[in-house]
Amino acid sequence: MSLIDALPTPKLSRQAWQPNVVVLSLGVVMLGIVWLFSTVHVAPNRIVPGTSYSLWQAIGWPGALLVTLLISAMCFLALVPTRTNYRAILVLVLVVLLLMPFGLMVAGHWLMDPDHPQARLGIGPAYWALLFILLLCLVELRLKLGVNRLTTTLLLSAVGIVWWLCATWWLENLALIQEFRARDQQFWRAVWQHIRLVSIAVGVSIVLGLILAMLMRRYAKLQKAAFATLNFLQTIPSLALFGLLLAPLAWLAANVPFLAQAGVSGIGTTPALIALIGYSLLPIVRNTYIALDEVSIETLDAAKAMGMRSYQRFWQVRFPLALPVLLEGVRITAVQAIGLTAVAALIGAGGLGTFIFQGLGQAAMDMVLLGALPILLLALLVDSGLGALAEALRPGGRS
Amino acid sequence: MIELSHVSKHFGEETAVDDITLRIAKGKFCALVGTSGCGKSTTLRMINRLIEHSAGEITLDGQLIENYDPVKLRRRIGYVIQSTGLFPHWTVARNIGLVPRLLKWSGEDVTSRVSELMNLLGLPVAEFAHKYPHQLSGGQAQRVGVARALAADPDILLMDEPFGALDPITREKLQDELAKLQARMHKTVVFVTHDMDEALKLADHLVVMRDGGIVQQGTPLALLQHPADPFVESLLGGLERGLKQAALTRIKDHMSSLGPTLPAQSRIPGDFSLRQALSMMLRDHSDRLTVVDQQDVPIGELSLRKIVKEAQLDKG
Repeated sequence: MSLIDALPTPKLSRQAWQPNVVVLSLGVVMLGIVWLFSTVHVAPNRIVPGTSYSLWQAIGWPGALLVTLLISAMCFLALVPTRTNYRAILVLVLVVLLLMPFGLMVAGHWLMDPDHPQARLGIGPAYWALLFILLLCLVELRLKLGVNRLTTTLLLSAVGIVWWLCATWWLENLALIQEFRARDQQFWRAVWQHIRLVSIAVGVSIVLGLILAMLMRRYAKLQKAAFATLNFLQTIPSLALFGLLLAPLAWLAANVPFLAQAGVSGIGTTPALIALIGYSLLPIVRNTYIALDEVSIETLDAAKAMGMRSYQRFWQVRFPLALPVLLEGVRITAVQAIGLTAVAALIGAGGLGTFIFQGLGQAAMDMVLLGALPILLLALLVDSGLGALAEALRPGGRS
Repeated sequence: MIELSHVSKHFGEETAVDDITLRIAKGKFCALVGTSGCGKSTTLRMINRLIEHSAGEITLDGQLIENYDPVKLRRRIGYVIQSTGLFPHWTVARNIGLVPRLLKWSGEDVTSRVSELMNLLGLPVAEFAHKYPHQLSGGQAQRVGVARALAADPDILLMDEPFGALDPITREKLQDELAKLQARMHKTVVFVTHDMDEALKLADHLVVMRDGGIVQQGTPLALLQHPADPFVESLLGGLERGLKQAALTRIKDHMSSLGPTLPAQSRIPGDFSLRQALSMMLRDHSDRLTVVDQQDVPIGELSLRKIVKEAQLDKG
């Protein structure tokens, strides 16, 4: 054991506890928001803006008091942030998250007139803000408690399942649900299209990116040119790139029958995929290149000195050691592609973006949400899933 | 046996190794010593062809190393470096078993060889086999490094400042263990270090290098007695040189038989060094010591006058 190892590590419990400012201020902001802004609104039909209701109007004084109590408890616990208290705050955050759909149910029961089946319950700014801030609290708690990504993902999935159950069984009045009910087949098709576009784009980018990164490692000249091109590509606004591809692809489809048969056309899936791959290449190539380059020279030198052949050195040493950073690139790319694919709806590629643009056109905000929320959810899921995978693959399970 | 004859290495305009000739007999421990940048590491890395030499001949058991497949050559040569170079994503056991697996040993052979080596190097299998390198202390990691180098039982061991990054206590312990291992295994070892004490302690053959060339080579004792120039002398410790030489000399070789006079009070075992004897004389204010064997039976005596006189004779 070296002398440094032998030194005692400073104990956290000896320090005087400082209040956790992050959780404390988030809690205060939450209290302000739930009392100052409207939580739900009720509209007689799809287009007409409805009446807004504040927290106590929506779920009554006992409910409003309960919410205030729970959030205040978080603030008080954050004043003395021991490990136990952090756990308690985590439980409180999860409880509030679990109670939120029931709040909507109560509000629906009180505010909706059963004689008007056309009426819909909209979610107000305070409700969204509360949801967002609770997720921020979770991020802070995850850091402070050192919970790994997998556990966080599992916890959030459990909350998600409760939400989903509430939504399917008891929240028929919710505007969002009504939008979904009206076009559920279309919705699932759009989800599928979205996932398909993203997977193909990211999949192709991974293969191309790996090849490109390896070529760049071999030929130094290629490196500058490739990074310059990819950086330039990244600066073109996505809408413009889709537009730019329209003309040449339409021309190709008209003049090369083989390509037209293969499904190439000015609008639709092909230009969307080309643009998505173009955007996805930079983060993948950059991360792959850096990941492969970052592997310690001494480790590789030792591998060579032990008598490993070059392909053995690559597949057994360089590649596995680069994998976590490489996956980080895939994660960034996938999240970016999920967002960009929404724009691809404009050129007829389908996907969840369809609802966003249709909703904007019809001034139906709930329909926009029907497109935007699943995109958000998808991005979060992919982000945490790939993040957890990268974490698990760290050398020796090191976090 | 390793032979380098008129070997040079140029990196572009620069000459890293300049016309060196060196012969390392089978089973001998050869230490290359010098200040940093003197070409000692380059010399080492030319032997397993991590660096190809520019001129001259390097032979292994009489065969030119160019005639070997470099990969197969490296699998026959153990290699230990200062930063250990362990694979961070592999367990200790997997790291040690690397070369045997490359040589396509059967699974059981690899497993039993790995346990054998871990026991040899004081790493209990149950405790360490499944640990990852980042969970080890510096000394433990370097033990794994040595075990990995010895895994396929190579005849030759190349060590590039293997203990340079360790704290003094761990370093000394590992040096002692390496000396013991070498006494049992008789590998042909080439050991690069800038620590002259380490070299004096371990080496049979000492090579002092400067600016890519060999300044002097020979047994540690020969170098201590006749340093070729002031540079070698300063490396050997200047005024301390006498004590360093005494540290290499055993009492048994300089004692006289028990005389008619009363035996001295202070007793010292015969296989201790003259340096330790001198230290004991200073401590006990005595110019005579009684030399004893392992059973504490007197076998002779040592006098300060005789030691000093014989040291002069050695020099003459």
